[in-house]
Amino acid sequence: MNATKLKHDSAVKHITGQSVYVNDMEVSPLQLTGRVVYSTVAHGMIRSADISEALRTPGVAAILSAKDIPGINQMGPVVHDEPCLAASEVSFIGQAVLLIAADSEEIATEAEKLIRIEYEELPAILTLQEAMTRDELIAPARYIINGDAESALATSPHLLSGCLETGAQEHWYLETQSALAVPGEENEMLIYASSQNPSETQAIVAEVLGVRRNEVDVEVRRMGGAFGGKETQGNHVAAWAALLAHHTRRPVKMHLFRDDDQKITGKRHRFFSTYSIGFDEQGKILAYKVNLNSDAGSSTDLSRAILERAMFHAENAYYIPNIHITGKAFKTNLPSNTAFRGFGGPQGMAVIENAIDRVARYLKLDAAEVRKLNFYGQETCNETPYGKLVENNRLPVIFDRLWHTSSYRERRAGIEAFNRTSPYVKHGMALTPVKFGISFTTAFLNQAGALVNIYRDGTVQVNHGGTEMGQGLYVKIQGVAAAELGISAENIRVLPANTSRVPNTSATAASSGSDLNGMAVKNAMEVLKARLKKVALEEFEKLGHTGIGACDLEFAGNRVYSKMIPDASIPFVKLVETAYINQVSLSSTGFYKTPGIHFDRESGKGNPFYYFAYGMAVSEVSVDVLTGEYKLIRADILHDVGDSLNEEIDIGQIEGGFIQGVGWCTTEEIKWDNKGRLLTHSPDTYKIPTINDIPETFNVKLLSDFPNEGTIRKSKAVGEPPLMLAFSVWLAIKDAISAVGNHETEPDFSLPATAEVVLMSIEEVRSK
Amino acid sequence: METTRKDIQFLLNDRLISIDFQEHPGLKPTTTVLNYLRALPGFKGVKEGCAEGDCGACTVVTAEIAEGRLVYKTIDSCLVFLPMLHGKQLLTVEHLADGNSLHPVQQAMLEHNGSQCGYCTPGVVMSLFGLYKNSHNPSRPVINDALTGNLCRCTGYRPIADAAADCCSGNGKDQFTSAEQMTLEVLGKIQSDRRQIEITTDRQLYLKPMTLSDALSARLRVPEAVIISGSTDVALRQTKKKELLTALLDLSSIEELCTIIADEHQYWIGAGVTIEQLRKFSHDHLPALAQMLSVFGSLQIRNLATIGGNVGSASPIGDVLPLLFACRASLRLQSASVERTIAISDFITGYRTTCLKNDELITGIVLPKPADDVFIRSYKVSKRKDLDISTVSAGFMLKLNQGRVADLVLAFGGMAATTACASETEAFLRGKPWDEPTVAKAMEILENEFRPLSDARAGATYRTLVSKNLLMKFYVESTAQEV
Repeated sequence: MNATKLKHDSAVKHITGQSVYVNDMEVSPLQLTGRVVYSTVAHGMIRSADISEALRTPGVAAILSAKDIPGINQMGPVVHDEPCLAASEVSFIGQAVLLIAADSEEIATEAEKLIRIEYEELPAILTLQEAMTRDELIAPARYIINGDAESALATSPHLLSGCLETGAQEHWYLETQSALAVPGEENEMLIYASSQNPSETQAIVAEVLGVRRNEVDVEVRRMGGAFGGKETQGNHVAAWAALLAHHTRRPVKMHLFRDDDQKITGKRHRFFSTYSIGFDEQGKILAYKVNLNSDAGSSTDLSRAILERAMFHAENAYYIPNIHITGKAFKTNLPSNTAFRGFGGPQGMAVIENAIDRVARYLKLDAAEVRKLNFYGQETCNETPYGKLVENNRLPVIFDRLWHTSSYRERRAGIEAFNRTSPYVKHGMALTPVKFGISFTTAFLNQAGALVNIYRDGTVQVNHGGTEMGQGLYVKIQGVAAAELGISAENIRVLPANTSRVPNTSATAASSGSDLNGMAVKNAMEVLKARLKKVALEEFEKLGHTGIGACDLEFAGNRVYSKMIPDASIPFVKLVETAYINQVSLSSTGFYKTPGIHFDRESGKGNPFYYFAYGMAVSEVSVDVLTGEYKLIRADILHDVGDSLNEEIDIGQIEGGFIQGVGWCTTEEIKWDNKGRLLTHSPDTYKIPTINDIPETFNVKLLSDFPNEGTIRKSKAVGEPPLMLAFSVWLAIKDAISAVGNHETEPDFSLPATAEVVLMSIEEVRSK
Repeated sequence: METTRKDIQFLLNDRLISIDFQEHPGLKPTTTVLNYLRALPGFKGVKEGCAEGDCGACTVVTAEIAEGRLVYKTIDSCLVFLPMLHGKQLLTVEHLADGNSLHPVQQAMLEHNGSQCGYCTPGVVMSLFGLYKNSHNPSRPVINDALTGNLCRCTGYRPIADAAADCCSGNGKDQFTSAEQMTLEVLGKIQSDRRQIEITTDRQLYLKPMTLSDALSARLRVPEAVIISGSTDVALRQTKKKELLTALLDLSSIEELCTIIADEHQYWIGAGVTIEQLRKFSHDHLPALAQMLSVFGSLQIRNLATIGGNVGSASPIGDVLPLLFACRASLRLQSASVERTIAISDFITGYRTTCLKNDELITGIVLPKPADDVFIRSYKVSKRKDLDISTVSAGFMLKLNQGRVADLVLAFGGMAATTACASETEAFLRGKPWDEPTVAKAMEILENEFRPLSDARAGATYRTLVSKNLLMKFYVESTAQEV
């Protein structure tokens, strides 16, 4: 079967209920259930913690506090500013204070009710506005500057200024945070984790336990969704389970209740951004000054890198000659915000997309035309604010194709006609582009390892550092391996990520999973193929086929053959056996590092990305003017994945990412009360899209005929970029609101555009 | 023979399971079907995603006898207590494949790439199975309706909808069809025993009468027992608040409460009628109610929840109540000795409180048939269209006489501590011409009639704005109708 058409490797297991997640694992009848007891105040000092009664509960094996941590009380992934268990000070509601291990979940819950923790409350910072007022920076401000924005703004024919709030987003992976820790001999600890970053889980568990990394093994078979939420914060439950397992010497499994997961874990950073944009009569942007302010929460986590990516995407797909980008991350007494699909990119892009929408309305031009006018150029006007050139720019071709397939112009006219005669329902439409930089912006993370074993029956095991969270990385790797070795995919097994098989890996994040790990696997394959070719040449020579060079040999159709003598070939399985008999190693590691990635944070210049991924969407909505409710009528998407590694998997990533973005832009609203308590802590009040929220007409296509040179099988990363296509929905809603005032008034707008936000905005437009 | 039985019996696919709770210390009568299954060897397919019926990862299918044949229903297993399975067949994702061949719904999911991370998938597959057994060539709205109770965070649903359209085009036959006769026999035998089930453990009492008279006796005997039928609301006290429910009275097996009877003037709706049963019925008889019920929870919830439970919980955001107010429905309450009828508006006395006496049960709702010249509409405004709780809901009734308002009810949910009528606005409008300027004036009165809360769902200002805009919407729709 064509490697690009393989089904998800776990699909049959998924649909028959046989795929195993951490919470499904029972490794021993002695296995305990772990539970975390967390702070109920947003900021305070722990005055006392009475666990005596809880400890006496039959079936309770251990209750631990910070003083029971044998190693370092830290689980901050980049900066050590996040205690594993609060020792004296608590800095958000949901912060772990105590851990319970018990025979069952029920007993652990009963025991928790008997624990009394007293706090002395301290003043807490609960809003981004307050943190900004008090200048509570988590790290020094950052800048990316090109040209002279200040002067250019002053001389621009037109100038608009404003601000934009973008909300937090809960990951809402179906599988809440989970880990199973199994103690071994002496210091050994085996962790079955639900983590995007097994190597970091290993490091943090080792630190917390006070053991060395070679004593901790972490395995990740699959995650029930992650979306960035398990890039660092999957480490937390692993560390807690490991502590309990260490103390009880029994396996301990932790699986957070949904509400606890929502309260404890960090979310997509909310941002408050201000901007000024200068432009000419045609809508050409001359200058843009933007301040991106993020709510980091109580500790650093990945906030610096997320802010940086927001800054790298502040101009999105547009060439802006004079630009001044400031990024600041602020500390608040809320759970530490973390990675979420797009990693700051969406927050940076939202500001410019809203601003350009304003420019178009101000000039009474079509917003799609204004966008096109400002796209990066092919040969000129192609330098990003940070100095990287935009090469192989796919924006024009995508725009032209989508413009036609979506019938943009005809539908625009139709919408205007509809709105003229419909007072209570308005339609709106928007086209928005995405240009997303691919690579970890922290350059050294752009590396990956692999280990490939060939067995004597011709079957192959492939190990790599990437984790499977549903995105189809494993089937893509399987496809790459099958194509490289020229054997059937069914003879290839891709193994769970395991730190003892492939060490020192980077997180499966930044959409980089197949780019990095695919290349590492290919590299291992090349080593093995070189060895096998040597064996094959000897065999061909024995058969009388002389004069063949190694470069003439091909691996295809489960055979090795020479291009010169096509009828002479050796079955792969026979070649493997011959190699074994000839004492040739059938196992090899592989390694890859992305070439040429560098970035100087001081000067704000460099080459932080290997390439860009592009996409565009046209969305149409209808809005009920009396209630603010809306419906997504149609979405057309054209997205660039180079030569697809697996078309159906890529389509799935685009559709799923888009709908997740639609959720963030529309109904997913997070609220805290004035004590820092999360109000939207369950799906009762936190609303992700259902099947009825997807577009009635949903056309998703891959950009064909544009291979990406220099990557694994000329493909492109796909995980994150499609999420930002959802701005087309957000701005289509704004277009419909604007229609209420006959496009004379700029609607007040924020993100998410809940029905409430929409109706209030409509009222505002009406009153003007 | 004992006059009560203390064990329950159900089929786990083709296996007859009998549970005597006193002999199974690991099980409580309030053990959920989800937790029961996950503790069995080989049944980890069913997943807990939220433990409140809002995600559907725990969806299973039950088959029960109705009119001599098997009826398949999808339910959220996190909300169902074990005794509620009594006399039914329980089917999980593990039962669908027939030997090595996938069930048609599974095959379609495979072909359409319907799974990504796989965690919601078993629940999705079971919802598709429920659709497969109940629908032939379902339309897109029917497909969506079968799946709104299943949250998926990965796929964006499109491939799942395609899979549904693909697999439900056949005749609905499968290995369960072949086994139907045998299943009917076993279940029939269990159900032929009409004795009340009485489960007593160290800390809990669970009563499951089969007849109304047994239920009324049980109510008299254990007035403190929490009354459940679908348990979609009460179960959360255990699954979310970690409360131990010490006494329960389960009315879900009382056939007398599950009927809908129509006569010339009114509908009698038994308290045990499920919301889904009522939705289907009202589709032809009372479209405004069907419209409201189509956005009531999810199919999994509607298959469990009952009209009696929805009314009895007296929630200020109960979806059905405003419309019942608008229709001037009344309730039948019955104790072992007395039966009485009370207007719905008198029944609810405060925030989640009613005038139900501690020996009474709600037996049914009397819904007067609306006259042909009466205009009735229901509205539900929520953050998300489906599987959400109302921010504001409304049930409006209008009768005009020569262009003037002859009769009017404007009932709202989400605007006060109970379902409440905008009585000042109603008074203002009575006798006035039904035109836009008058409605605009009425909106000003309505604006000051309630003091709604700001909460996780929305702010007070929005609620007020929506409440008065709904009146305009009602006006617009009523005039569109008049033509």
